[in-house]
Formats: sequence, C-alpha cells, structure tokens
Amino acid sequence: MDLHHATVVGAGVMGSGIAAHLANAGIPVLLTDARLGAATEAVARLLKAEPAPFMHPDRARLITPVDLPEALDRLTNSDWILEAVTEDPVVKADLYRTLDRVRKPGSVVSSNTSTIPLSKLIAGQSDRFASDFMITHFFNPPRYMRLLELVAGPNTRPEAIAAIAKCADRRLGKGVVMCRDTPGFIANRIGAFWLQAAINAAFDWGLTIEEADAVCGRPFGLPKTGVFGLLDLIGLDLLPHVTGSLAAALAPDDPFRALVRPQPLLSRLIQEGYTGRKGKGGFYRLGRRPDGSRIKLALDLASGAERPSEKAILDSLQAARGGLTALFEHADRGGAYARAVMLPTLAYAAERVPEVSDDIDAVDRALRLGYNWKYGPFELIDRLGTGWFADRLTTEGLPVPPLVSAAAGRPFYRVEGTALQALSNDGAYHPVVRPAGVLVLADIKRQSQPVAHNPSAALWTLGDGVLCLEFTSKMNTLDPQVFAMIDDALARIGDGRGIWKALVIYNEGEAFSVGANLGLAMILYNVGLWDQIAERIAEGQRCYLALRNAPFPVVSAPSGLALGGGCEILLYSHAVQAHAESYIGLVETGVGVLPAWGGCTALLSRHSQNPTRPGGPMPPIAQTFETIALAKVSRSADDARRLNYLTTNDGITMNRDRLLADAKARALALWTPDYHPPAPPPPLALPGPSGRLALALQIEALQLQGKATAHDGVVAKAVATVLTGGDTDLTDLVSEAELLALERQEFMKLVRTPATLDRIDHVLATGKPLRN
Amino acid sequence: MPRYQAPLADIRFVLEDLLRVEQLATLPGYEDATPDLIFPVIAEGARLCEEVLFPLNQSGDAEGCRLEKGRVFTPAGFPAAYRAYIEGGWTRLACAPEDGGMGLPELVYFVMEEMVSSANLAFGIYPGLSRGVYNAVRRHGEESLKRRVLPRLADGSWAGTMCLTEPQAGTDLGLVRTRAEPDGAGGYRITGTKIFISAGDHDLTENILHLVLARLPDAPGGSHGISLFLVPKIQVRDDQGTLGTANAVSCGGLEHKMGIRGSSTCVLNFDGAAGWLVGQPHKGLPAMFTMMNAARLAVGLQGLGLAEVAYQHALAYARDRLQGRALKGARYPNRPADPLIVHPDIRRMLLTMKAYNEGGRALAYWIGLHLDHEARHPDLRTRQAAGELVALLIPVLKALLTDLGFEVANLALQIHGGHGYIQDNGIEQYVRDARITQVYEGTNGIQALDLVGRKLPQATGRLLRHFCHPLAAELEELGRDGADPVLAALAAPLAKAFGRFQQATVTIAIRGLADPDEAAAAASDYLRLFGLVALGALWLRMARVAQEKLAAGATNPLYRGKLDTARFFMAKLLPQTGALFAAIQAGAAVVMDPEDERF
Repeated sequence: MDLHHATVVGAGVMGSGIAAHLANAGIPVLLTDARLGAATEAVARLLKAEPAPFMHPDRARLITPVDLPEALDRLTNSDWILEAVTEDPVVKADLYRTLDRVRKPGSVVSSNTSTIPLSKLIAGQSDRFASDFMITHFFNPPRYMRLLELVAGPNTRPEAIAAIAKCADRRLGKGVVMCRDTPGFIANRIGAFWLQAAINAAFDWGLTIEEADAVCGRPFGLPKTGVFGLLDLIGLDLLPHVTGSLAAALAPDDPFRALVRPQPLLSRLIQEGYTGRKGKGGFYRLGRRPDGSRIKLALDLASGAERPSEKAILDSLQAARGGLTALFEHADRGGAYARAVMLPTLAYAAERVPEVSDDIDAVDRALRLGYNWKYGPFELIDRLGTGWFADRLTTEGLPVPPLVSAAAGRPFYRVEGTALQALSNDGAYHPVVRPAGVLVLADIKRQSQPVAHNPSAALWTLGDGVLCLEFTSKMNTLDPQVFAMIDDALARIGDGRGIWKALVIYNEGEAFSVGANLGLAMILYNVGLWDQIAERIAEGQRCYLALRNAPFPVVSAPSGLALGGGCEILLYSHAVQAHAESYIGLVETGVGVLPAWGGCTALLSRHSQNPTRPGGPMPPIAQTFETIALAKVSRSADDARRLNYLTTNDGITMNRDRLLADAKARALALWTPDYHPPAPPPPLALPGPSGRLALALQIEALQLQGKATAHDGVVAKAVATVLTGGDTDLTDLVSEAELLALERQEFMKLVRTPATLDRIDHVLATGKPLRN
Repeated sequence: MPRYQAPLADIRFVLEDLLRVEQLATLPGYEDATPDLIFPVIAEGARLCEEVLFPLNQSGDAEGCRLEKGRVFTPAGFPAAYRAYIEGGWTRLACAPEDGGMGLPELVYFVMEEMVSSANLAFGIYPGLSRGVYNAVRRHGEESLKRRVLPRLADGSWAGTMCLTEPQAGTDLGLVRTRAEPDGAGGYRITGTKIFISAGDHDLTENILHLVLARLPDAPGGSHGISLFLVPKIQVRDDQGTLGTANAVSCGGLEHKMGIRGSSTCVLNFDGAAGWLVGQPHKGLPAMFTMMNAARLAVGLQGLGLAEVAYQHALAYARDRLQGRALKGARYPNRPADPLIVHPDIRRMLLTMKAYNEGGRALAYWIGLHLDHEARHPDLRTRQAAGELVALLIPVLKALLTDLGFEVANLALQIHGGHGYIQDNGIEQYVRDARITQVYEGTNGIQALDLVGRKLPQATGRLLRHFCHPLAAELEELGRDGADPVLAALAAPLAKAFGRFQQATVTIAIRGLADPDEAAAAASDYLRLFGLVALGALWLRMARVAQEKLAAGATNPLYRGKLDTARFFMAKLLPQTGALFAAIQAGAAVVMDPEDERF
C-alpha cells in the first residue's frame, strides 16, 4: 500500500514536529488538535523553531492545520493517522473510537505513545481497528532524531507494518527498530536507567556536574552534553514524569525501580522554573559578570548554588585516553562514577535481551539513533571485553547477565569471513543483516582492505566496479594528501572501461567535508611561503577539473556539512546524491577569502546556464554574488537546490543508511560504454568593470546600513571582480580558464590582507567567524 | 690570567645603532630611560662587574660554598660583593617604582645580566633568583603579600629561590609530592624535600623566600594539581617585614658540582613550614612558568656572558702566545715566533666565537626590546605581536646561547692548548660553568620540545609570523636587482637557509600532526636550525646598519668588523643549516625503529 496522505492528531511538540517531517518527505498532512486554533498556532511555531523542523519553509504549505471537528470530516482520505495526544489512556481510547468511525478503510492508525502499552491501547477497540493499529514512537526533534520504534500488536496486519516501516525508512529516513510491547520499548528503557543512575551517582560520589558530564560523555562515545547537559536539553520536568510512569509499569523486581528516588534539588529546580534550556536554565545557566560579559554558570549539587562553570580535571579522565578499562579501574571519583553508572547500565541493557528484543543489534541501534550514542551498549561491552566486563561485575558484587555469561569471553560482534555477526541469546553467532538497499562503508571497511590509503583519504571498493573515495582527515578537511588520493583514483579508474567503472566520493564522518585545511594554509602563510599557497590553490583547481573531465561517472554523496572546498567538490562532480540533511555552502568569505578551487566559476556557470533565468548578463552574476558574498549555507539538501549548490538532476536520499547504495546505483546508472563527462561550461560574456561597479555600489549601500563591515566590503569586491570577469567587457568572451585565473589572483590578494588573517586566526582559535 | 672587560662598544652598537634604544623612552613608564641615563648606568654596572665581581670568580670556584651547623656560607668576598651590589642599586634596576625599584627597561637588565654572568656566574645566580621570585609574586601574589615582600626583594635585603625539583620529579613536575595543608588561619603548612635548590641557603641576606611547588590535600594528580607557595626562611611578623622565628625549613646538604661552585645548591627540607599561597589553587605550574620564561631568558644570557669572557681570554692568549710561523711566511719576523692569531685554524675558531657572541648578543637584546614592547607599548597589537615573538624565541635563545656558550668556552680552551686544561689559567672553569646552563631551567632537549610542541602549534604557527614575515620582506628586498651588492651577497646564503627553515617548519607541522614522535625526533635539529637562521637575520641587520654608517662616512673600525664577521658567519657557520635540514627531513623512523633492547 502507498501512503499518499497523512493526518496527525495532537499539535503539541511531538505531533507538530512529526507533521513537519512528513511534509519534509513530501507527504501532505492534516494537522489537528482538540483545542481550537492549536493546529494553526503550531504551524506558526514550527516556522520559528530552532533547530528548524522544516527542511525549507515552503514545506509548511504541505500542512493543513484544522480543528478536530473539521478534521474528522476531512481525514477520510488519509492513509496514515498518527496520534500524538496527551498520554492518557481514556483520552486516547475515546479518540480512537471517534477516528475508527470516520477513517478510510484500511488506513493505518498509529500512536506516538512512549509510556502506554499497545495491549492497553487496543483494549475495547474493534478488531478492525486493532488490525490497523501500531505504535510509531518518534524521538524529539522528529526531523533530526533518526530512531523510530515500531511496535505491532498480535493482530496488526503484516502489510500495514511493512507499509509504515517502508515509509518511515525510505521517505522519512528513519532507522526503524521493531520493538516488543514492553514498557519504554528499547531506547527509553535503557536510556532512562542510564540517566537515573547517572544522577544518583553524581550525588552519591560528590562529583561536580562538569565532572559527571565529562566522565559520562566523550570517553564512552556518549554525547558530549553528558547527563546534566542532556537533562537541560530535554527539560528537567520531563524526567520525573518519564521515570515515574516507567517504574510503575515495570515488574516489581526490575532493577530500575530501585533507582528511582526523590531528588529534592531536582524538584526544587522544576518548581522554581529552572526546567532547562526551555526555562530559565537548568544545571547549566548563562549569567553575567559584573562587567556585563557572559559567563557560563554551573550548579553545585551539594549546595544548590550557582558558581562559574569550570572544566573538569580528573586523573581518571587523563587515564581514559589509554582506554575505557583504565577509566573504570581508576581510583579517583571519576573512576568510581564510571563504575557506578556504566557498569549497571550496560548490565541492565544486557539483561533486557530477550525481554525487549531478541537482537542485540536492535538494542545498539536504538541507543545510537535515539540517544546519539556513538556505540550501543553491546558495542561498548565489546570495547571492554565481555570477559573483563563479567569479572568486573563480579568484583563489584553485581550479577552477571545470562547473555554475558553465554558470551564466555567471546565478543558480542565478530567478523567471520566478510560477514558481521552478532551473538544471540542461543549462544551462537548470527549474521547482522542489513536491509536491502543499505550499504554501510563501515561494514566494507571491516570486511576488506583499502585499495589505497594515506593519512587523509582512502579508496575502497563498493563492488560492481565502483570505487569509493573516503576522506579520513580531521573534520574531513581537504589537504594535499586528499588531492593525491583523487589523482590516484583517477589513474586507477583510467578510462572507466577496465575493472573500475565509476567513482563515488563519500564518507561516514559527521561532516562530508568542512573544506580546505586552513591550519596547513596558515602554517605556509605564517612562515611566509606565499608561493606555496598559490601552488595549493592552483593544485586544487587542477584536481577538481580533472574530476570534472574524468571519462567515467563521478558521484559525490554528502551528508552533514559540505563547506568551501567540500562544496566545490560537489560542483565539479558529474552528479550528486545528497543526504537530505546536507548543509552545503561556499563559506570562504567568512574567513576573508573567496572560493578559489573553482567555486566562483562553477556557480556562475550554473546560474548562467539556468534556462529559466531572467535575460541580460547581470542576473546570474548578481545571484552568484549574493550566495557567495553572504556565504550562504543550505539548511538541507532541498534548500541547496534552491541555492543552486545542487541541481534538479542531483538526487536526495532521506535515509542516511541508504545514501551510499543510492550513490553507487546513481554512478552505475550513469555509466555507459561511451560515457562522456559533462561538457566544460561555455565562455561567458561578462560586463567587466561596469558590472563590478554596480556590485560595489550594492556593497557600499549594505555598509552604510551597517549590514556589512569594512572587510566584508573588501572581500565582496574581490568576489565581484571575479564574477564580472575582471578587466573584460561584454564584447569579449571569458573562458573557464580565465575565470579560474581571476579566482587565484583575487584569492592571493585577499590572503595577504591583515583583516583576512584576523578572520582566519579567529576561526582557528574559536571556531567562530570574526566580523571585522 | 683571565681578564674581563665589558664589551661596551659592541653593547652600544647593538643598543644604539641596531635597536634604536632611544625609542624606549617613548614607551609609557619608561620616559626617563633615555640614552643619557641608560649608558651611564651600564658603564657603572660594567665597573662593578670588572672590579668587584670578576676578581672573585676564580677564588669563589676554588673555595666553593660550605655547610656548617645547618648554615651555608658563600666563598670569601661574596657577602661584601653582594653588599656592594645592592648598595649600587642593582637589585632595584628593573623593579617597579612602587616597590622601591628604578623601573628601568628589561633591556637594560639584559645587559647587566650578561655582564654579571661574564664576570662571575656563580655570584649572579643569587640576585638572579631573587628577581624571579619578585616577578612571580608581583604577577600572581595577593596585594597584602606583595606589600610585605616585594620591597624587600627589590632592595636586596631578602633573596629568593625556586623550589621545583624533588628526587623523583625533575623534568616531569607532575610527579611533585611535597604537600601543603591549610593551617586554618589562611596560611599553609608545607612538608616535603626539594633538591638542587640554587641559592637555597646562604649568608648574603637576612631572609630568603622560597617559591615552592606543592600539592593541596584535595589536589588532582599530575600537573593539574600543583599549587605555588611562598615559604620564608625566617617567619615574617608584619607588613613592615619584621622578622620572627625561624621557619621549619632546613638545609639538608650541599651538592658538589662540576661548576658554578660559588653558588650554593641545596637539599631543602620543609617540615610543616608556614607559607602563603601564590595565585590560584592548582594553578601553580602556569604561574611558575611565567617566572620560568624570564629565567630561561636569563640563562640564555648566562651562556652569552660565559662565551664573551671566554672569547676575551682566548683572544688575548692568541695575540700573546707565540708559536710557529704563518704558513706563507713570518708575519712578525722581529719576534721569536708569530702569535697564534696568524694561523688559519686559530682565526677560524676566534671568528666562530666572535660571530656567535656578537650575533647572540644582538638576538638576545632584540628579544629584550620586544619584552619591553610587550609590557609597555601603547598599541595592543604591537604588544601582542611582541609577546608572541618573545614566547616563540624563549626556547631558542635559551638552548642556542647555552649550547653556543659551551661550544665557545670549549673553543677558548682549545686555543689555549694544554694551558687551557690546567686550572691556573681559569679557562677550564668556563667550560665547567657553561655546562650547567644547557641543563638547568629545562634541559635544552626540553627547550626544543617546547618549541615544536607548544610554540609552533600555538594558533597554527602564528607566533612564527612575527619572525618570518619581516625577514622574508628584507630578503626579498635585498634579492632584487639594484640592491647593495655587499648586502645582497650576505642575503643570498641567508635566503637559502631561511628557505630551509620555512620548509622544515612545514614538514614538522604536517608530520607532527599525524605523529608527535616526528616533531619530537626533529626538535633539537630544528631548534638549532632556527637559531642559526635567527643569528643570520641579526647579522644581516647588523651588516646593514654598519654599511649605512660607513656609507655616511663613519670611521669606527667596529663597522668594518661587523661586515667581516657577517661575511664569515654567512659563509662558514650558516651552511650548517643544510645538514640540519637533511637530518630533519630524515624523519623519526631512524630514531624510533630500533627496539629498546638493541641499544
């Protein structure tokens, strides 16, 4: 069955966020709420919310906000009705009966409940309703959190499950984890245990919140917010609610129930409105010094008083660099904290198989996608060693979970031949099956040797003659070693008629690439090697042109940030398959330079060749100028199309896990025995100094309005010089090579100005742009 | 017999012609520091060094310090010399006026530091440490503590020490074990043993203030848990500095050392000694480092001072000692033999010493000028840039000038032949004295690690900008057609060496990012390469000044000498950069591959 239309009932934070994300996927949504006017208010709120629930504000048009009575008339064409109303079984039961009377036969009804069992929700409902009903548990915020827990009842139709799972996977881009109908399902069951254990232990062991967050954070691959930072983010008031209802639903002997205890400080904070970032602040707050400057404050757990926040310094944190076991074994309070929180949490997770799932991979995925853990609990135990873990539990007087005993020192995951296998509760290993159409580079890296590699990049085979170029430098910055690997790939693939047919540029880092390695450029600058900086620029242009002219398909597949040189590599690829969450931009002007690896040239050509553009030479120049001078970064792949960083020919993949397979398929689809690379852009008739003057007047107007700084003006004028073709006029044609030469010339002028240096210094020191 | 005459002509050249010392008086707070004041002060300091301190150098070495009934006595004449030193106001030289100091520029202090080190290094260590303690307390101490101790340190009636090292904690201060317990009344009780404490006890002052690194009870382990305390030898009763009873600090022994024997090097035992916290709890190492930076510059100047006096000694000997004849025929036929100075290899050694010494002086004083700019310049960017340049060059100056100090002292001994190896001539003392400067205040290996591990990576190499950009511009200018041919001939080899330095920097930065062993294995070679290029830069600037003076009709032979020595430096010493560059490029594998057992 196909899902053409959806209705979301309940326009609270979750309901409206889910509606927005359905709209992101191109699905028209009716958003409704029992409170009159609430749905309309919710859409207005969505448009202002940060981080943005919509991939582009235009997506809001796909949402029709109506009040409930009207919705009941209009939802007859909805294939999927999502319920996200208050967590009250009576309210839900009434609503379900109403919905059941009006909904389209065969439509699916799902609840976003996080606390009420499915069995209770379908009690008293019709059989027909029960066969169309399931729980779809989204995580907040729905656009960004990748987990969807799906719980089906005993009588839910398999086609309904398959249709929702498929839609969630392909169109919403979610990682679907099938769960049993147990309290808290998987992620919150284990996540709440972890949070509660972490709060308790911080009080018990007398840690500062910075120390607690530093221990229960980076060393374990947990989000760097740690525990108290996370509570501030999700809202302190939510915690007693979640833990209370979860504890009530669990068996009397469930270890979680022993953890729940009153925390007077937490209650006091909630009472006083310190509910976290949405309130007056939480455990961390922003305050002001006497001189008015901002200062980060932290709460002292013992006294409840504010004090300036301080970086945690513990011997155990130093020791953790040498491995997790060193942290656990350390004698200081950091080590004690790690033991008190993570040992019971990991043991609790291990005890939950098979209660919550038969599958350890499902548990790991739930925590990775729902709590942003870098490693799931079983992966973390593997990092410690199951034998070490069992011994340590025994030392601490904790029971060893059966699954850990069954592992008997063997890891939970192993690679057998080329297949990744997971230990099951039958004591045997079973393959970890990726869904069809999911290709994970990490799997390939586990199973094979790189075709070539250097410190900054590697080449892998994806099968079927497709080579994958992976950046491996920090934040995937681009440096000479990356270019060397591009050259290597070009040489290996040759004419694309041999063993290799195509190149996919892809990686699984947090950012596709943040652009040129500024640090390296700054070292060259600081020692005065100007010529080598100019060489690096020319080298990048040569390398990107070689990619563009390759006689075989070159497909880039970005996810996350693709900035500066990372954006330019997309502009010079033959096609792009972008993850929906791609943040693409030519941001060079932010550091006081301009795109000089062909970015100005390529974007100008793209705007010039747009068949629907207004006539005359200036409109494409003005559009390109605006995008580059303002260093615009797309808020999504959808948005990137509107900025011309992507074209309508470029594909968008909603599910991160499907990006590589889609990109590979794209590359193979492009390949033909007589493949030709994209033609170089035709020479352009550009206005030269007169056009430059027109743009300069615009800049000066912005400066007069205080919207552009002095150096913004200098940089923008350099961009204008390139885009208007330097000292040309409309009777002449400017070639690509001439434009590239102008990029180099203006770049080298800018890089030697003190204000540009101040910008680069500032970005390198603080990670933030300087407005000078 | 050794002789020492302060090199006032060269000092004046560097200060006046090269560094335009008159600009100091334009800095706020230095209005009085005009050349009319500075040069007489330096001349007076030179007199003290030549007439009071230098005569005690050899006797102090022979006699050494002695420990009697828990008290340390300095060699004969030291207490009287110290009185002359403080009566001359030399402890007050660069102290702040509000503490009773003269508030003169650091640069003037640098000159004095060099001259004192030439005259009597062992003596110079006593006031030198007091100055370090003065700076640390002034920068990090609370107001009440400052009022109590700074005037005493400034007038020299009290002295100071730096108590860092413990038997198990040398270079790695994270291993410090000395404890500090709050006494409940705002003070602390310090307990532990410190070793190698220079000037740890002596008979020169009525009190001694020990700056001590120790751990508070709640301190984390490692270098993040160390605090700084000031512990007086005699307890101080009030703000007027009235002395009370002896504190629980005792000297448990004196070290018997290779050199600087007139300087007492003590084992100090703290048995619940009363002390004050200086700066923030657990922030002792950063506070100590601000003081160590000054101390490292001072040690560099010690290396220079020893090299200068050794050179003077060797030059006198090379003029006096008659042996053999010049190879192309007698140059002094009416004497029984030609003096040593006619022989090419002797000249090579003398010129090497001269080139290192005068280049080192120019480099050191150039840094001194930037210290004053960092402290006083009205423009923020100039202050920052000066501070960054100083930070970059501290490890270079310390390691380069002390390594060269030892090399020069050794060359001086070599010129003396067998007469250098016996004690009577006094030259072997300089070799022994110089040796410690390569070791203390952070061994020269540690200086090299500081350079590549801390200073280069800071702000992705921004510190280098202040050194490289002006030099690149000068070399570019002298490389153009129509440049002065004399200067162009000096600039060409320097440009080559500078290119090696630039490339080596990039190599180390890139390789070091991937593998810290790469940076560390190249560190010492890189520091020397940097040092030689820096000396080359100063030699080029000196040559330029000299050339301009000669062109303007100056007749001072010193200017001609500068051009000669610059030519020698560029031709005979700077080529070492080629070998160093090759060694740096060789990478870390050749150092790290051999297994430990195979050594």
